Amino acid sequence: MINIFFRVGDRLTFPTGRTILSIIALLLFTSSGFINAQTLIKGHVVDERTKEPIIGAIVLIKSTTTGVSTDVKGEFEIKASKKLPLTLSVSLVGYRTQEIDVYDTEEPVYVTLSEDLNRLNEVVVVGYGTQSKKVFSGAAARVNGDVIKELPVQSFDQALSGRAAGVSISQPNGLLNNPPVIRIRGVNSISLSSYPLVVIDGIPVSTGNISTTTDVPNNPLADINPSDIESIDVLKDAASTSIYGSRAAAGVLLITTKRGKSGKAKANYEGWIGITNATRLPKLLNAQQYMDIKNEAVLNSKILSGNANNDNVSSQLFFPSYNADGSLVDTKWYDYIYRTAVSHNHALTLSGGTEKTSYYFSANYSNQEGFLVNNDFQRKGIRFNIDHEVTKWLKIKGNGSYNTSHNQAYSSGSLQGSSQFLIGAARMAISLPSNISPYNEDGSYNLSSTGQIGMGNNKASSTLYNPLALFEYSRSTSDNDRFLGGLSANVKLSKHLEFNTSYAIDRLKTETISFLSSKLGSSGYSNGGSVTNVSALRNNETFTNTLNYDQVFNNRHHVSALLGTDLQKNKVNIWGVSASKASDEFFENYQGGWSNYTASNNSLGERSFFSYFSRLSYDLDAKYLFTVNLRRDGNSALAVGHKYGDFGGVSAGWVLSQEKFFKKSALGRIFDELKLNASWGRVGNGNLTNNYGSYDLFSSSLYGTASTWALSQSGNPDLSWETSDQTNIGINAELLKKRLSVELAYFNNNVNGLILDTPQSPSKGIPGNSILTNIGSMYNRGIELTLNASLVQKKEFSWDVSFNFTGIKNKVTQLAGDNADIIGYTHTSANANNVTRVGYSVGSLYGAKTAGVNPENGRRIFVNAKGEKVQYSSVVAPGESNWTYLDGTTAPAIGVSDYYLIGSALPKWYGGLVSNLKYKNWDLTLNFTYAGGNYVMNGTKATLREQTFYNNYTGILDRWTTPGQVTDIPRLVYNDIISNGTSFPISANAEKADFLRLQNVLLAYRIPANLLSRLNLSSARIYAQVSNAFLLTKYSGTDPESSVNGNSNTTPGIERNSLGQGRTFTLGINLGF
Amino acid sequence: MIRIINKIKNISVILGLAYFFSFTLSGCDSELNTESETSLSAGEIFQTQTRIEGLVNGMYKALKGASMYGGRIHLYLDVRGEDFINVTGNSYTAYESWTNSYTSGSNDINNTWQQAYAAINNANIIIDGLAKSSGVISDEVKTQYVAEAKFVRALSYYTLVTIYARPYTENNGASKGLPLRLQAETTSANNDLARSTVKEVYKQILEDLDFAEANLPDSYSSSALNTTRAHKSTAIALKTRVYLNKGDFQNVITEAKKIVPQTEAPFSTTTGVKHALQSDITTLFGSNFLTIESILSMPSTASDSYSGQSAIAYVYYSNKEYYLNPSGILGSSLWGTNDARRNLIELKSGKYYLKKYAKVSPYIDYIPVIRYSEVLLNYAEAALRTNNNALAIKLLEAVHHRSDAGFVFPANSENTSTALLETIRLERRIELLGEGFRSNDLLRDLLTIPAKGSSSLQAAQVLPSAENYIFPLPDSETNTNKAL
Repeated sequence: MINIFFRVGDRLTFPTGRTILSIIALLLFTSSGFINAQTLIKGHVVDERTKEPIIGAIVLIKSTTTGVSTDVKGEFEIKASKKLPLTLSVSLVGYRTQEIDVYDTEEPVYVTLSEDLNRLNEVVVVGYGTQSKKVFSGAAARVNGDVIKELPVQSFDQALSGRAAGVSISQPNGLLNNPPVIRIRGVNSISLSSYPLVVIDGIPVSTGNISTTTDVPNNPLADINPSDIESIDVLKDAASTSIYGSRAAAGVLLITTKRGKSGKAKANYEGWIGITNATRLPKLLNAQQYMDIKNEAVLNSKILSGNANNDNVSSQLFFPSYNADGSLVDTKWYDYIYRTAVSHNHALTLSGGTEKTSYYFSANYSNQEGFLVNNDFQRKGIRFNIDHEVTKWLKIKGNGSYNTSHNQAYSSGSLQGSSQFLIGAARMAISLPSNISPYNEDGSYNLSSTGQIGMGNNKASSTLYNPLALFEYSRSTSDNDRFLGGLSANVKLSKHLEFNTSYAIDRLKTETISFLSSKLGSSGYSNGGSVTNVSALRNNETFTNTLNYDQVFNNRHHVSALLGTDLQKNKVNIWGVSASKASDEFFENYQGGWSNYTASNNSLGERSFFSYFSRLSYDLDAKYLFTVNLRRDGNSALAVGHKYGDFGGVSAGWVLSQEKFFKKSALGRIFDELKLNASWGRVGNGNLTNNYGSYDLFSSSLYGTASTWALSQSGNPDLSWETSDQTNIGINAELLKKRLSVELAYFNNNVNGLILDTPQSPSKGIPGNSILTNIGSMYNRGIELTLNASLVQKKEFSWDVSFNFTGIKNKVTQLAGDNADIIGYTHTSANANNVTRVGYSVGSLYGAKTAGVNPENGRRIFVNAKGEKVQYSSVVAPGESNWTYLDGTTAPAIGVSDYYLIGSALPKWYGGLVSNLKYKNWDLTLNFTYAGGNYVMNGTKATLREQTFYNNYTGILDRWTTPGQVTDIPRLVYNDIISNGTSFPISANAEKADFLRLQNVLLAYRIPANLLSRLNLSSARIYAQVSNAFLLTKYSGTDPESSVNGNSNTTPGIERNSLGQGRTFTLGINLGF
Repeated sequence: MIRIINKIKNISVILGLAYFFSFTLSGCDSELNTESETSLSAGEIFQTQTRIEGLVNGMYKALKGASMYGGRIHLYLDVRGEDFINVTGNSYTAYESWTNSYTSGSNDINNTWQQAYAAINNANIIIDGLAKSSGVISDEVKTQYVAEAKFVRALSYYTLVTIYARPYTENNGASKGLPLRLQAETTSANNDLARSTVKEVYKQILEDLDFAEANLPDSYSSSALNTTRAHKSTAIALKTRVYLNKGDFQNVITEAKKIVPQTEAPFSTTTGVKHALQSDITTLFGSNFLTIESILSMPSTASDSYSGQSAIAYVYYSNKEYYLNPSGILGSSLWGTNDARRNLIELKSGKYYLKKYAKVSPYIDYIPVIRYSEVLLNYAEAALRTNNNALAIKLLEAVHHRSDAGFVFPANSENTSTALLETIRLERRIELLGEGFRSNDLLRDLLTIPAKGSSSLQAAQVLPSAENYIFPLPDSETNTNKAL
């Protein structure tokens, strides 16, 4: 008797009923040899999409027990005792079963199997195991690794846009390897990270930006080679995530890397090359327009100040400069700051195995350029995954990957806390005067005596630098060295019980270096140059033990249980030195000669999680489903006495389509599958950035030469978990002969005990003016819809469309300090751009309300807190007030107390659409993403209209000039920093963000098999694609998905002086040997 | 055979389970008790003398924050006046101060407020903590530390009340002043605290300074400590400034006499640190930060200094963002061409720039907070206002002749009280240029802040009645403190 045991927790082999039969059949046949042969049928089986041979597919002659499996070339021979014609049934786990009628045996039978994606009989990877999707009653989505590997991205998370319902992913801007903004079912915290927990092969890893400068980002997820990823499973509801307890409130991404399959060794090469350009750059004033506009502002200022007849006050400050050939200097700064970037990416894999041992080896190299000059990303990595069955009761799995990655960028103003820097390249690109040249006639850089850009014949002075000098004289890099690996053993203790133990380590060493030259023209000139080296070691270890029990009683009652413990230790050790004042301008490295050394970015921290968890699943006839998860989590970062928290979830499902009455009903004829499910659970969020938030801490520093101690943190001795109570109700259906599948879910997440950086009155003198407190609550409610349709399924032509939609409402229901507003600042406290207020969504846009421009005098009209209209003129005659009511009487200045909540910064709806057309060897895939219902603060518009010496966009030509003129651009007054929103945010710059983007369009061609065999290839695919192909939006800024504050929860939806998005064209090739 | 296998299997099941549960039950609670290895918790900080001394230094360090006496407060208060012309129009380097256009959301407004109150809370933490601590340090040292804390608290409140509240002299301090925080704050309680009146704030400042004077040491063991930490004369010197702002000239004289006992030059302190004018003022700026003229300065070293826009030497000197207004004090006939103080300004491309802070890369100028010459000028003004013109002239001339020995004051600059007052004001502008005095000197006399400007940038005058005559309260405070 062959004993086949399939464990729920085994991710690769959980079979459906059909495949169990097939495998039994296979085992029988392979052992019993061939039956009396009459007709020999030959054929081969390939994957419909990749055209790669499928190994181990089961080929059965219909209505008989005769069958074989395909060999490593995907070929089979079967001897049929039945007469022709007959029907072959070809099946394999993960593919739709295909039936082929055979009429003759002259030609080999050619069978294509299509992958069975997102269907009910798939496997779902859940925490610490897998479940059949059929009996899964939570909410999850799977993204296949194949769709990621060909995209020109640095990290896999960037590639998930629009791929799964409920998952919102946007690129904050076009700087390479800037972590995307990911929200699974909305913003689930205010002060803690809303980034989902990312678990790679069982180990939770670091996320976010780990660079220590604001020039160059470093997303540690880019250390994972996207082409090594088998699948990404997104766990969305508490029933699925609660097994991760305290860290699951923002959802969980489970990354499974590829493993070898038994069979002949297979080698694959995958590579692409691409070019990227900046898109949607605003059109700027040329030199003549620049001078005209600026001088108009200067003259207006002179007139308004009552100096119209005062010769001591200039009427003009901006004058032309000429090139050596007599032509007007008219510089297109974009040409110096942006470029056509070239990227290429290569991956080589070797995989295979014997019955007992399988392996997967890969090496990859990626070299990507950003459209910002000198913005580079490189990754080199290798991975080795191995599986071995030592004995019948012991299996060992090992995996290890090592990689280095290199990030490089100039300050571009695109990372959180840098949008106001004078050295931000994106702002320089739009703000540098067009009537000055980057070079002097002798070829040297055009610089002022203090090192800023020289202003030519203009009489105004410049605060901006010469970007070419800045670029030459500075360097910012962040490099990772990372080992990620682990070993696990699976011991079969009895027929129904298994023990799993696994240890994994993620050791990430990051070195971030910023160099500023001591040369004139460098922003480090005034310091005599500086170099800052910061080394960070993140050592993260996980030790997990689980017991799995799985048994079917009376052929009906399927019980599986999981019991486990998990210990994770995270140590972060960061130290750095800043050396300044080079002894010679020659020195560019820390190891050179410098006069001063100070410590930089030091930090030493440790975090431990210790947890017990369990899961109990029960199903009756795979019809009535029930699962309970429980987890007890300990987190060292919480207060003594509050370190442990209990989390858990229950879910239930009812597979209606399994009911006899349903099958007989009219609905039963429409629906092939119909499942109702519901879940409720409580998960937590203890992702504190602060390891010691419960303590009052004193830190040491220097006062001159004397050492000091001072309060550096006010702690909260009651600091506890943030909890999220999540309800999910869903319907999954397949209908029309499985050509359409529908998943509909309603979710309601109530987040309670939000850990808030509760604002303290600054007069209390508490460091950072905030204390972490568990006060506050909010909810995210919404619906998700996923439709997968096979619109056409012909032999040579098919068209599949998958669509997803999420509608979501976020509302804050309670905040600390009697529901005091939380103000979100962008870089500096003058930019109070966001407010988190009870009754509204987190981080709503905030600012002074404006009511257009007064047609009589061209002044910006504001609306104060009382609702009164107040107009502003930055320059007035002596004795007059800058702020007046419309009748000219003096009014109080507009301040933050007059600010209004302008609108929600969080999309109310979003989703994606993927269309996949296949014709013969061609396929065309279009991936659209869309979102809307929110506003973006277009702070860059303030810069484009700034009335200092900055250049402006051509839109400024519509400024107010004559009484009676109706326009939204106020009269130009030199150095007016209020009317256009430079100094503080104004509602006139908030714009609707609705958009539709063709995220990606890909056209691929598979080289036919007959051609391939000549080349000794088993498969070859070439493709061309365009990423960010087009964007339909009324938003006037560079990109409606911009976020200059990155992943911050309380300051979303702000675009200010940051890079836009690029458009990338790629050509790729995948070869199988 | 099968039986044996089964037995092994059973044993392995039991062993496996035992291993699993022993791991589970052994507990990893100890792993959860992590503590910072780079910071001390509240319970440990008052445990040793060194740490308490460290807290005292930490309090001065807060006073030395970039937005406070690290230098930028001087910048704000100088450029509000008429002696400097802005070049860059950059709001991150006090352009809004120059144009008197601060809003309640402005960075400078919020940062200065927060930094001053951080110093106040540090002082309160010491006062509270020492009251509860016993046996670690002697009562004598404890009293000294409390006195230093009260000095720092007084200086911080003085700084705040003179810029965020209406001048005392306007209505005898009846205007709304500041939230008067006198207790250590480390919890989320007490966000709301109403503003005390200007009068109440001054009362507290003077009470603290009286306590400080009574309990501070006469002097320390080194000139470095005498310059960077408060001693008895420091409290007295500050009192002359506070009383002057209050318009209480009699008390200015009472205090000044303690450290300027003479009625004829040379003037000097006779007890404790023997404060006196240096023969050459330029030594104070650049070559010797530790002379007896410097009553209180904020020290800087390569390891403890500011750079970039946080350093006033960057703003005034390396990046040249303000030059001296030719029609300001620069053009005064009182400022003779032989005046040594002209060595503290620098001519470049036809414009004069302040050179008092010129130690760049690293920016290690000490920032003067109180100098003996200021005390002499405070005293001179109080003497004049109490009709002792003769003494006033002697004090004035002592300061002036130190830098321009041969200078002869025109008769009409000293012959009437009005003229003499104007002369003393001009002298303050020359002597204390760039040390943060001009704005308060206008405000305490309820004078209009004059207009100024260049051909490209203009700043309008500010009448005493105007809203922007003082700094607005910061939003960060009004947002959280509902009792204001």
